[in-house]
Amino acid sequence: MGKRLYLWSRILGALALIGMLIAPWLALVYASVERQMGLAQKIFYFHVPSAFAMYAAFFLVFVFSILYLVQKKKTWDVWAACAAEVGLLFCTLVLLTGPIWAKPVWGAWWVWDAQLTLTLVLWLIFVAYMMLKSYSEDPLQSARFRAVLGIIGFLDAPLIHYSTRLWRTQHPEVVRADTIGLPPDMLVAFVFCCAAFIVLAAAILARRVSLEFARDELESLKAGFRVSGTETPG
Amino acid sequence: MAFFFRQVSAVFWKDFKTEFRTRERLSAMCFFAFLVLLVFNFVFTPDSETIRNAAPGIFWVAVTFAGFMVLTRSFISERENDCLTGLLLSPADRGAIYLGKMLANLCAMLLLEALILPLMAVFLNIDVWQNMPRLLPGLLLGTLGFAAVGTLFAAMSLKTRLREALLPMLTLPVLVPALLAAVESFRGALAGASLSEISGWTNIGAAFALLFVATCALLFDYVVEE
Repeated sequence: MGKRLYLWSRILGALALIGMLIAPWLALVYASVERQMGLAQKIFYFHVPSAFAMYAAFFLVFVFSILYLVQKKKTWDVWAACAAEVGLLFCTLVLLTGPIWAKPVWGAWWVWDAQLTLTLVLWLIFVAYMMLKSYSEDPLQSARFRAVLGIIGFLDAPLIHYSTRLWRTQHPEVVRADTIGLPPDMLVAFVFCCAAFIVLAAAILARRVSLEFARDELESLKAGFRVSGTETPG
Repeated sequence: MAFFFRQVSAVFWKDFKTEFRTRERLSAMCFFAFLVLLVFNFVFTPDSETIRNAAPGIFWVAVTFAGFMVLTRSFISERENDCLTGLLLSPADRGAIYLGKMLANLCAMLLLEALILPLMAVFLNIDVWQNMPRLLPGLLLGTLGFAAVGTLFAAMSLKTRLREALLPMLTLPVLVPALLAAVESFRGALAGASLSEISGWTNIGAAFALLFVATCALLFDYVVEE
């Protein structure tokens, strides 16, 4: 399983590299400059795809956490923990790219808008997830605790969203239910960037998980070596 | 089903009785919440419009911080003499143990709120009694949501190396919608809004409480499992 996953991570990594080379060209050169926001709007091609990658990763954490609690297989815990790391990475990207856009357009780095608050709170929940990992005493217990937090964190997301939306909101709605309000050239760049970011997230996740599997294999090999090492000398 | 609720009430009464006989948890946390209330009086200008606007927030900060004490105590006391192991070895359903403990924590926190509210009315000079019927739903739902998530996380955090220090870090981010709903419905009720006007907030509070009472009751088994 580890070897095939490693192969997949190479394939996805190559695709992500190609995608990431084309994405800036599409976003910065091909897509036309937005009339009102000007160049600041360009961050949209990296900000929103990061957000999609983040949601996808956190959803995976939720799914793998449930699978772990039901089946108690270590594999699911590895997948959940790695997906949480990838999600946290893209969540940080969203939180970093957002203010770059917000400063020229809204005139402030940060506003307490629903979407921003949700992202920040999700970031906090998954930082707590990482803390649970490093402060646990027993790996099995840590895996169960993290699975519990992963499930609760994901279930909490819609509630955070609705409560903060009722509280205050001013975030632009790019993808509305009825129609996507983008001209064709921007849409092409946007869809391509989304695909590139998703592939990148998948590549990082696959590599991270295969690394974790390799570490496990090394540990078991070491343990086996130690056992056979104590038997031979004498 | 009736058997399940008998188990819940047995755990609840056990916690309630130990608390009632020692009273150590309740008196300490009431004093603590009172101190938080006073500190806010010194931080903001007393008798100003600012502090009256901030009253709902001050109340919930005091209740939340004192609430963390309630939650940790409820599991620290179980750790002495391995009481929790005994409780888990009993044929009781794990969900029932969770619900019993959660209800005991809920009661302790409601008692605390009942003591803090009049004090706040006096110190911050706000009209609590007239708005009581409209305050109650938000208050009850917010406390239930807090107790639901907090009881599960307290059981979790006490088993980590950081012990109770991890509890606020786990609970506060998850608690954001419940706190927002509780504070905003409190604010609305104080401003004289009708129940239907603040129903948006009480609905969120109710959704949070229901969702997490059910989820945490299901997940508690995995937290206490050895």
